[in-house]
Amino acid sequence: MNLEQLKKLKEKAQKQIALREGGKKYRVVVGMGTSGVAAGAREVMTTMLDEIEKQSLGSVEVCVTGEIGMVDAEPMVRVEETGGEKTVYGKVDIEGARKIVTEHLQKGKKVQKLAVGQAKEKE
Amino acid sequence: MANFRAHVLLCTGTGCTSSGSYAARDALLQELKKAGLESEIRIVETGCMGRCDLGPVALVHPDGTFYRGVVAADVPKLVSEHFVKGRPYEKLLPRDPVTNSVAATQQDFAFFNLQSRVVRANCGIINPENIEEYIARDGYAALGKVLNEWTPARVIEEIKASGLRGRGGAGFPTGVKWELMAKVPTKPKYVICNADEGDPGAFMNRSVIEADPHSVVEGMIIGAYAMGANRGFIYIRAEYPLAIKRLQIAIDQGYKLGVLGKNIFEKGFDFDIELRIGAGAFVCGEETALMHSIEGKRGQPMPRPPFPAQSGLWGKPTNINNVETWSTVPIIIRRGGPWYATLGTEKTKGTKVFALAGKIQNTGLAEVPFGTPLRDIIFEIGGGPPNGKQFKAVQTGGPSGGVVPASLLDTPLEYEALQKLGSIMGSGGLVVMDEDSCMVDVARFFLEFCCDESCGKCPPCRVGTKQMLNLLEKICRGEAVLEDLDRLEAMCHVVRDASLCGLGQTAPNPVLTTLKHFRQEYEEHIREHRCAAGVCTALQLSPCENTCPLHMNIPVFLQLLKEDRLDDAFEQVVMDNPLPASTGRVCQHSCENRCRRAGADAAVNMRETHRYIADMAYNSDLAKKVLKRILKRKQPATGRKIAVVGAGPAGLSAAFYLALLGHRVTVYDSAPNAGGMLRYALPEYRLPKHVVDKEVAFIRATGVQFKFNATLGKTLKFKDLERQHDAVLLAMGTWQETLLGIPGEEARGLYPSLEFLNAAAYGQKPPLGRKVVIIGGGNSAIDAARTSLRMGAEVTIVYRRSREDMPAIPEETRQGLEEGARLITMAAPLRVILDKNRRITGLEVAKTVLGKFDARGRRSPVVTKETYIIPCDTIIKAIGEKADSVVTQALGLETTSRNMLKVNPWTHQTSHPKVFAAGDYVTGAANVSIAMGWGKKAAKSIDRTLTGEDRFEKLWPQFVYSQTIPPAGQGGGRNPERLLPVAERRGTWVDVSPTFTEWQAKAECFRCLRCDIKAPEATTH
Repeated sequence: MNLEQLKKLKEKAQKQIALREGGKKYRVVVGMGTSGVAAGAREVMTTMLDEIEKQSLGSVEVCVTGEIGMVDAEPMVRVEETGGEKTVYGKVDIEGARKIVTEHLQKGKKVQKLAVGQAKEKE
Repeated sequence: MANFRAHVLLCTGTGCTSSGSYAARDALLQELKKAGLESEIRIVETGCMGRCDLGPVALVHPDGTFYRGVVAADVPKLVSEHFVKGRPYEKLLPRDPVTNSVAATQQDFAFFNLQSRVVRANCGIINPENIEEYIARDGYAALGKVLNEWTPARVIEEIKASGLRGRGGAGFPTGVKWELMAKVPTKPKYVICNADEGDPGAFMNRSVIEADPHSVVEGMIIGAYAMGANRGFIYIRAEYPLAIKRLQIAIDQGYKLGVLGKNIFEKGFDFDIELRIGAGAFVCGEETALMHSIEGKRGQPMPRPPFPAQSGLWGKPTNINNVETWSTVPIIIRRGGPWYATLGTEKTKGTKVFALAGKIQNTGLAEVPFGTPLRDIIFEIGGGPPNGKQFKAVQTGGPSGGVVPASLLDTPLEYEALQKLGSIMGSGGLVVMDEDSCMVDVARFFLEFCCDESCGKCPPCRVGTKQMLNLLEKICRGEAVLEDLDRLEAMCHVVRDASLCGLGQTAPNPVLTTLKHFRQEYEEHIREHRCAAGVCTALQLSPCENTCPLHMNIPVFLQLLKEDRLDDAFEQVVMDNPLPASTGRVCQHSCENRCRRAGADAAVNMRETHRYIADMAYNSDLAKKVLKRILKRKQPATGRKIAVVGAGPAGLSAAFYLALLGHRVTVYDSAPNAGGMLRYALPEYRLPKHVVDKEVAFIRATGVQFKFNATLGKTLKFKDLERQHDAVLLAMGTWQETLLGIPGEEARGLYPSLEFLNAAAYGQKPPLGRKVVIIGGGNSAIDAARTSLRMGAEVTIVYRRSREDMPAIPEETRQGLEEGARLITMAAPLRVILDKNRRITGLEVAKTVLGKFDARGRRSPVVTKETYIIPCDTIIKAIGEKADSVVTQALGLETTSRNMLKVNPWTHQTSHPKVFAAGDYVTGAANVSIAMGWGKKAAKSIDRTLTGEDRFEKLWPQFVYSQTIPPAGQGGGRNPERLLPVAERRGTWVDVSPTFTEWQAKAECFRCLRCDIKAPEATTH
């Protein structure tokens, strides 16, 4: 093995443990309460995980939470920017999930159509 | 590769696997599969996170939730709560003893939060059996850099620049050591990793190996390159099977990847590592013995020089470094020597992993920069001793180290600073001891270890440690004489100076340091045959007897009452404690602190039981009958005259025993009646005067004379007393209140608590306003509060610390609050607010926050800028009393810096051979039982001085009673102190706590576990 090979190996391995390093730009919180799951939150989450992987977005972590609070708007997804805004999306379907990844997480643009009111609080 | 949304880092170090982390792992896999989450959640087996006592532990990323006690049975709930529902599973969250709150994430836990992790940066984060995870965290990058870009000399320069010192214990500069070896031309050369970690309580090396084995391997390869060695050995003890396994996996992976073996990084450097498994002999941690062991010989040390760098393994140049030293090397190369040198202190750079063990709440591994004060690591990170016990000392550096007492807690953790105290850094073990640790026993324990581990090659160590151990055991049995201490000390020096290797040279350290800082404890074992910590079983009857300041024979009176022998029980009680009905009401009952019954349910209620016995006797003719029996043992008149100054608890106790010993005793007091604080400070509702009357009458009946209204320095001249008597005992109470030192303190309407309580006791009514503020948190504050309430005032108690820190008996505080007192904690008085007529209108206080821990383990209050005013018209300060300097000066006796009388702690003699002292003027304001204990000891000493004999034991009856150990669990739950309902307590002066019923008292007797029975033969007293 030489230095070049070590570097490559490191890049590959870093992805495996990236989740354990802090300092991510975005945290995506998927509401996985009973109503969320019934409305398809699990599919939404796996779609987002796949999409994040496909687009190699390193600075995103995905968590789940219980009921977010608006049962009729499920499945709900909250995108939290570290030290910045929190955006809550409602009635997210598979298509919407992809859109949040491509637009919000990739380009930093909110998907206004899906947003259900924004909390202005800072983390 | 699946994209996981969460990683569960499950500790699989030795500690956690032994508490079941593999079973938890299997359960996790199963439950995650059941929930369909196996492709979302990944389980990673990591090494030690440093909190083996909470194991199995797990850390969930990305949210950082830290779980403790993750056993298989709790896993289904954990999975459904955390991973399905997405909320932390509270049951398994740890409680941080420092902040006393539930820690949701690792960052919320002071134990983790306050550490600086350099050596342990990867520990608990990567899978130690996966080389890729090590590489992901910059693993082998340092090796790549060195082999590709640096010369060996450059590596040594960098290590020198870092200031790294050997972590094995001696702290020799690593760079210098490497340079010496590099200069030796002989080939082949060897490098060795010393992983023969053997100190009791230290496991940092094992933890690093188990959690991050590649860092050790990488460090060794770099070192070998720098010093020109091509072969290395890791010497590790067989007791570390998991560490051995992980090291072997790491080495195998290293060979496979090409960082070990031939032509590493294609740069032409070859290096091989082999493991050598040791048999667990402590001496093999010594480098020359270690090398013998690697060579296959008996592990015995050799004199140095020659040093290993000249002639080591098989006579070839060899470098030996500790696990922690090796694992620090890659970080220094990656981040630079100068960066590393910014950590730590002037003389000692970097960080060190310490193993916290013993009487401490957060046990485990903590990595902090060198120079961190002991206080910070023990209290801020370690949380101090558990159960509110008081910190006593800490043993640093394992059995070769020494103890550092509480007074030196600000010592920085640094090689030189610890050496100056006669201790060592060693491998970094910190064994914490609290008030229940006996320092003689601690020294004995560590010495026993070294004595066991001595290899036997040199006589000073082989014979010397054994002789020292014999002496220490003799002291613990109470069979030693004072000269033994000198003998012990002399032997320490011989063993230290004449032993061949570090084992013998350092073995005396625990003895020397305990002798230096705790000599009084050694002397107490020898002179008084007492072990105050209650550890040396040969020196105590039972834990309760040992803790009681009067050393009452508690198991005996409980047994006598159990046998329906109330008269015998009273005789035993009153002989042990001449004021049993009073103390039965007001004693702080330290006897309960170590009661073994508390381990089963709750301590035996000994105080209320002896109060029951005393009340039954005084309220019938039983007391008179027993008095007759006691007087039969009264010793013939000696013709000696003794004056006792002060008719308080200390003076009354001493007078009782001295009169029975046949002396003519006169007690002088400035008050018109006897009792001191019992009569003139303690309020009627706690201790009715008629109770004191009966006890004083009993003592008077033994022949004690009283002279009242005689004030020392005024109507009573010390000179006369001294001339007219054969001995004088000074046993006055301290009545003078300490100054608050705030503006307005001299205002009318601000009373010292004792002055107020004293007036109330005389039946006077001090001009109390409507709103009273009491400053303080001790018993006299609560007494003043409850007395004020009974006088119809509104009462607010102001205390500067938290409620848990209040020195008052907790039951008293609770009762006071029930009766209507208000309690404001975390508030420090700033000034008294006065109106234009200089009448009090309020007290301004500042909010306090808890700051640094003091030596007693309480956080000191720190005043903040936030202030507020508590409206009031009367203030009572109850912040403690001190000796009256007018009195002490008039006596013309030697005093201490705190203006207390200086006495010989063993004889109670003052600087005047005829004059003895006991009680508050010696100890400072203390409680009733402590004062009585001093009085009792002083009486014994005075009699011994006057007669030259030990006659004390002759006063006691010899009872025969059952010596059968009772069956477990007898007697049911604890009977609490009886208490009138709040409605009946308010506004009344009657005794708020009725005597136990016969049924209750007997039940408590049955609850006693009879710790006094050691051999099945009758013993008394």
